[in-house]
Amino acid sequence: MTSTQSQRQNGASPEEAVVSLESVRRTYYLGEPVDALDGVSLSLPEGSFTAVMGPSGSGKSTLMNMIGCLDTPDEGTVTVNGQDVGALPDGKRARLRGAELGFIFQQFNLLPRLTAAENVTLPMVFQTVVDEGRRERAETLLTRVGLGDRLDHTPPELSGGQRQRVAIARALVNEPSVLLADEPTGNLDTETGSTIMDLFEELHEEGRTILMVTHERHIAEHADRIVHLVDGQIEEIEDLGGDSA
Amino acid sequence: MKLTESLRISWRAITGHKLRSTLTAVGVIIGIAAVIVFMVLGGAFEQNIVQDFEEDDGEPGMWVNTQQVGTGSFQFVTAPIYTETDVENLEAIDGVDFVGPEANLRASQFSIGDTRQTGGFGVQAVSPDQYNSEDLIEGKMFESADEALLTQSLVNMTDGQASVGDQIRVNFDDGAAEEFTVTGIVEGGFGTGPNAAVYLSLEHHYNTTIETPRGTEEKAYSSLIIGAEDASVVDDVKKRATEYFDTESDAAQLKQDDQDIQVQTIDDAVDQITSVIDQLTVFIGGIAGISLVVGSIGIANIMIVSVTERTREIGIMKAVGARKRDIIQLFLIESSILGAVGAFLGVVVGIGVGYLGVTLIGWPMAYPTDWVVIAVVVGLGVGILSGIYPAWRAAKVDPIEALRHE
Ligand SMILES: Nc1ncnc2c1ncn2[C@@H]1O[C@H](COP(=O)(O)OP(=O)(O)O)[C@@H](O)[C@H]1O
Ligand SMILES: [Mg+2]
Repeated sequence: MTSTQSQRQNGASPEEAVVSLESVRRTYYLGEPVDALDGVSLSLPEGSFTAVMGPSGSGKSTLMNMIGCLDTPDEGTVTVNGQDVGALPDGKRARLRGAELGFIFQQFNLLPRLTAAENVTLPMVFQTVVDEGRRERAETLLTRVGLGDRLDHTPPELSGGQRQRVAIARALVNEPSVLLADEPTGNLDTETGSTIMDLFEELHEEGRTILMVTHERHIAEHADRIVHLVDGQIEEIEDLGGDSA
Repeated sequence: MKLTESLRISWRAITGHKLRSTLTAVGVIIGIAAVIVFMVLGGAFEQNIVQDFEEDDGEPGMWVNTQQVGTGSFQFVTAPIYTETDVENLEAIDGVDFVGPEANLRASQFSIGDTRQTGGFGVQAVSPDQYNSEDLIEGKMFESADEALLTQSLVNMTDGQASVGDQIRVNFDDGAAEEFTVTGIVEGGFGTGPNAAVYLSLEHHYNTTIETPRGTEEKAYSSLIIGAEDASVVDDVKKRATEYFDTESDAAQLKQDDQDIQVQTIDDAVDQITSVIDQLTVFIGGIAGISLVVGSIGIANIMIVSVTERTREIGIMKAVGARKRDIIQLFLIESSILGAVGAFLGVVVGIGVGYLGVTLIGWPMAYPTDWVVIAVVVGLGVGILSGIYPAWRAAKVDPIEALRHE
């Protein structure tokens, strides 16, 4: 990320978008076919902060998986950083995932036996980034999220909020195009949750593109806009304006 | 993903489950150790025998015996087919110093004073010209039917009680018991008989006869020792003796069609023994190697368990960009490390146990270098092979599923 990315949030046209979905359908067959996503079109302009809300089973996770290159559409296209995800072979898709997407999960999902610094380094390992400076980069990021003194602690030795910070540092380490957060405060108490949201605000101000799933209205309100999903379809995109919009 | 990275991460996974990893490696350790122990014992046994022969070396002798054809191992035929005529004809060959019939007498017990010895010794009828005067440590050759020579080993067996001039008593298997006066002590064993032996006069104590091809009745023996005049003519003597047996000998006509007359120098005999022991060692080692299969199933089993257990971790690694091949690499390296470490420790344990065994028996230690290399390669191979299926299962883990559950 460079500092020249301040005014990009409004450009909603697909050409300028980091991620765009075109009439995406994803159908699960469990006896009856279920459309987890039913013709969803959405684009994430560079630097935008989008929240996704909706009842359980409305397709929020499926949407995250699509954008996160973990899943591919049955119909329609998903484009990440100009690449058609559905057309990529498995290995390339994994590489794209590691390079362009940073995941932040409700359950943190850190490797329990690796230290904080090693967890942060992991995405670089799978990108075969040249060795040099990796450790320093992990240190810089952990210091940035306030864990400069916890580099060599393993996840079990850290609190929930600290673990989520490690996860955020890990998500940032490859300079991804998009941060994907699935209920990032879901496992945290209110106070800790709000410090994590402060961190998201900072990242947003740096010009990073963020997509966040949440079921809490006050969390969603940190974003520029809220996408309301119902039964696999976008019911409404609520624009929250905000000072940078 | 770089190999060194995988090594580091896999090593973490192994040390993160110390007890389980240890138990897994134990399967391989036992398999490899078993193979190595047998190789050490086999090698030591072989060296022990070869050493025995080498002590006799310098005696420019050879051994004539009859063997069953085509078995590759020792299938001795004990039929007496070497006649007195054969002995005389062989003695006439250039370079031959003496020809000594080997005539083992069956006896099970001897006693000297109050000391009794059952088994572990042999009684042989020998002709006096097989011995040079320097072979005698003490005393002189027997001259009559009631005189005997003892070997140093036999004397040792009686804790040094037996000496020249003593009376000994031998119980023969046919029930007869005879008394002999010891006239001398000789250095080593003779021919193929045990080192601890009582030697009696051939003239008086051996009377097996057969009908020769010429229709006459002659004494005949089941094997002969040929002594060459010196080491430089051994090969020539062997060639001429072989030629004689191929052509005009009585033995050639008396033997069965599926039997072979062998003229073996000490080197030939050592070669034959060595090759038989080698075959036996490899065979037993192979059986021990079966336990390696068990070891490899152990690794595969544990790896499958750990794939199931680490499904979530695999999902996380995929979410942060791991490809299928990265996951396969991680799991294969993990199983290879288990196999290689198991093999290495197996070699150490095997050499240790083998050394202990060999030392207890009193054989010289043999380091089976080639088998150590083979064991480590096999251990690594076992590790890789048994990791293939679990690694493939791990690569197939669906990250969405893996990350969904708590
Ligand atoms: N692996 C699956 N197999 C079958 N049905 C699934 C699967 N994953 C999701 N679904 C279905 O797709 C729909 C959307 O699920 P999901 O995207 O998880 O919703 P949300 O995250 O909003 O709760 C639900 O009806 C769910 O039952
Ligand atoms: Mg969900």
